[in-house]
Amino acid sequence: MLIELQGVTKTYGKITALDGLSVSLSEGAIGLLGPNGAGKTTLIRSLMGLITLDAGEGKVLGLDIRKRSLDIRQRIGFVPEDECLFPGLVGVEFVAYAGELVGMRPRDAMQRAHEVLDYVGLGEARYRRVESYSTGMKQRLKIASAIVHDPQLLVLDEPTNGMDPAGRSEVLELSRDLSRSKGMSLLVSSHLLPDVESVCDHVVVLGRGRLLAQGSIQQLKAAHDQEVEVRVRGDQRAFADRLARRGIAAELVDDHLVVRLPQELGTRVLWELAVEAGEQVRALRPRRSTLEEVFLKAVAEPS
Amino acid sequence: MPILDQGYQHWNGTLAGHAGRCLVITRRGVGVQFKNRWVQWILLAALAPALVLAGFLVVWGLFEQKSSLLTPFLFLVQGLPPELRAGPRGFRSTFWTLAFDQFFQIQLFFSMILVLLVGPELISQDLRFNAMPLYFSRPVRRIDYFLGKFGVIAAYLGGVTILPTMLAYALGIGFSLDPSTLGDTWRVLLGSLVYGVIVVLSAGTLMLAISSLSRNSRHVAAVWLGLWILSNVGANVLEQTIERPWCPLVSYTGNLNRIREALLDTRSARAQVRGLFQAGERMGMDAAGSTGFGRRGRRGGLADASAHPPLSPASPRPGMVGGAVPASGAGEEPGSGYPWPWSALVLLGLGGGSVWTLSTRVRSLDQLR
Repeated sequence: MLIELQGVTKTYGKITALDGLSVSLSEGAIGLLGPNGAGKTTLIRSLMGLITLDAGEGKVLGLDIRKRSLDIRQRIGFVPEDECLFPGLVGVEFVAYAGELVGMRPRDAMQRAHEVLDYVGLGEARYRRVESYSTGMKQRLKIASAIVHDPQLLVLDEPTNGMDPAGRSEVLELSRDLSRSKGMSLLVSSHLLPDVESVCDHVVVLGRGRLLAQGSIQQLKAAHDQEVEVRVRGDQRAFADRLARRGIAAELVDDHLVVRLPQELGTRVLWELAVEAGEQVRALRPRRSTLEEVFLKAVAEPS
Repeated sequence: MPILDQGYQHWNGTLAGHAGRCLVITRRGVGVQFKNRWVQWILLAALAPALVLAGFLVVWGLFEQKSSLLTPFLFLVQGLPPELRAGPRGFRSTFWTLAFDQFFQIQLFFSMILVLLVGPELISQDLRFNAMPLYFSRPVRRIDYFLGKFGVIAAYLGGVTILPTMLAYALGIGFSLDPSTLGDTWRVLLGSLVYGVIVVLSAGTLMLAISSLSRNSRHVAAVWLGLWILSNVGANVLEQTIERPWCPLVSYTGNLNRIREALLDTRSARAQVRGLFQAGERMGMDAAGSTGFGRRGRRGGLADASAHPPLSPASPRPGMVGGAVPASGAGEEPGSGYPWPWSALVLLGLGGGSVWTLSTRVRSLDQLR
């Protein structure tokens, strides 16, 4: 098991950041979702053993977060959200220094720094002062310094924050490759649901320090039994009226209709009505929730 | 080169334990600071006093043995008191003490310059570039961070104070060819090492604390300069105006000097040397037999001179910073200056304040935003 938490509680004065949180996560790419103040950052810091918990216990990579925080931090890589640098170093020194700080020998760290800088696409900037790097380069540099010791778990806190589309795409591509091709477990905290969806296969949704939803993205986005998405060639609204006259609820969403079929009816009725109306059905598919819907539903439920 | 061209290879090496993490920070810090050409020049310049000290101890060893190597330079010792020429071994610890004292007096200047060059960036730049999350998200504790940064200053200061002291001492022992030298001078070595450690501890923690107060290393450097130079000027001005015994306490380096004087007992050594030379002068006059002083003969010798040392006209005013300031207390000239524990208290206070500043300014990741 990658992460196991049981009844973890952390308060800051009157604010409860984590409220008896219990969660078990196995290896893979996990998205950590939640509105501001949901407890994502506190959860990450708890997992790294950086804060003293008020109650509860937990393990990361099988190591107790209360007793073996240094060992945990040695085995994971962390990419912080904010722009942060070791000043006065060139790229390769930066990454090698990060490796030495987790316990690599200087020679190993330097050799490995060259490898990971090539991997993240900073090979040609390795001898440039890191202060001169662009935002995207700094983000990739942080990733390189987080994976220099080949961690079992890579924690990315808002990895695409403030990046342009090209840089964002590169970082997501890197993350996907690390997770899917290299077998590295990821924990990605992000507000950008498409980013999480493109990298992760599991999500954890937090709200007010509690677990609101958890599971594989595919599972959470499971098809709705009696709901379909229909798009006809002609006027969508007119077709919706025709469905309403038959007692079938339909809602116009973007360029298509979301149709809720009664239990006793199948999709056949849609074809019949289309023939009656002289319409062409251009698209018909079972409706699936988007991750955004899953997220909004999970966040809305406690209130 | 496009991303992922090189692929990603797993790494199977072993990671070290957590014990020596601060050394990584120190090593990197020393390397980064050594790139500064000014630091290199100052280190080179600081070698000169060390070489002079070593040279003096070597010559002293040869002088004790009446080595023929010194024959071409005999004219230099003609002016020395006969007592000293006859039995230099009896004055060994006195002259070693003064040599080390002089060495440290000069090295304190170089130490202050080195701290000025090396120290300001240590924490202020980490704060400016938000490096704390990078440190503390790795197996680095705050104490590792502090020790690592402190180690950078300690390495440079130790390199110009403690290391040359030990090397020069070893050289002096080696050239003395006399096992009793160790017994005569171990207090000098001990005092020197303790003083070196005090300088490193005090200047190191103070500079780190100042460095943690600003994200701009130039401001930090300005504060350090102010603390060093303005506190000296302030002490002298106070000394001239209000003439209280505590005035030298205002000076940071004055306090360090006072501690050194106490550790090496340089006042006694100076008094002995003064007495020795004045006794030599009297003997010269006796030999000339031209004045009434000749009938008195030699009074008391060294022990007498040290018990009642006459003040030479060149002696600095009591309480002056860095001068031969007598203080009340056993073995010291009475009626002037201030007790060395006052300086120790000032330095301890600065150290305590520095540690408190560091603990509040450099927060661990759980307290960061």
